[in-house]
Amino acid sequence: MTKFLLAVHVLAAIIAIGPVTVAASMFPAVARRAASGSPRELTVLRTLHRICRVYATVGIVVPVFGLATASSLGVLGDAWLIASMALTACAAAVLVLLVLPRQETLLGGLAKQPAEHDTRMPARLAMYTGMFNVLWAVVTVLMIVRPGSTTGV
Amino acid sequence: MGSPQTLRVAAAAEAGSLAVLLLNLVTVHWEPVSSVTGPVHGCAYLFVVVLAFRSDRRAATRIASLVPGIGGLLVLRTVEPRSRRPAEPASSPTPPSEPSGSRRPRGSRWCVPRVPPA
Repeated sequence: MTKFLLAVHVLAAIIAIGPVTVAASMFPAVARRAASGSPRELTVLRTLHRICRVYATVGIVVPVFGLATASSLGVLGDAWLIASMALTACAAAVLVLLVLPRQETLLGGLAKQPAEHDTRMPARLAMYTGMFNVLWAVVTVLMIVRPGSTTGV
Repeated sequence: MGSPQTLRVAAAAEAGSLAVLLLNLVTVHWEPVSSVTGPVHGCAYLFVVVLAFRSDRRAATRIASLVPGIGGLLVLRTVEPRSRRPAEPASSPTPPSEPSGSRRPRGSRWCVPRVPPA
């Protein structure tokens, strides 16, 4: 049963977090281009934001099945896992509190007045998206290296 | 995501998985069923909470979504109290006596009148 839970956890991480990482990384660059007033870029921007929003919700599956896997393996108290969970919580907080609201604000501003939006906002958004990506990369490496772990799964 | 259909699926999964968990607990108590259905129920619960917080700003809906097990069904009751009734068949002609509908757009699935026309 552990193998099934782990398979769902890894699949969900690839399918849900992958699109968020790519779409959120593309968002600031497309936002800069959309500022020139191109309606096509604005449509792309809306799609990217929708991908981020929907797959962030689907991403709930990742920590839930991760906890179930850890509980099944009996490694919930391990230091590497506690560190991973803390970093995952930070990444989720960055995504939900910093990245997604700023994407919404940027999208709203560009839809109304493309010429008058704040040019520094895409740069700030790119910084927060980078923070999110780094956090997820660190968690993924921790999941593979598992310093101090003795389980063979 | 965020549509009433998604909320309905999440609510059904939340209540259904809890029923499976409880049934398993009082009958065979098969461990693999618990270890698979448990996370499924957890996911469905969190989906309901996220969807409810995103789709409705009312405190009643948000608090209802936090109720374990039946939170999703409670949210559905508060969000779409009229849609549980069967919708009007599309082929039925609209009677001429019906008021022209100052409150609802004709054909809206969400605003079926409470009193069917005579």
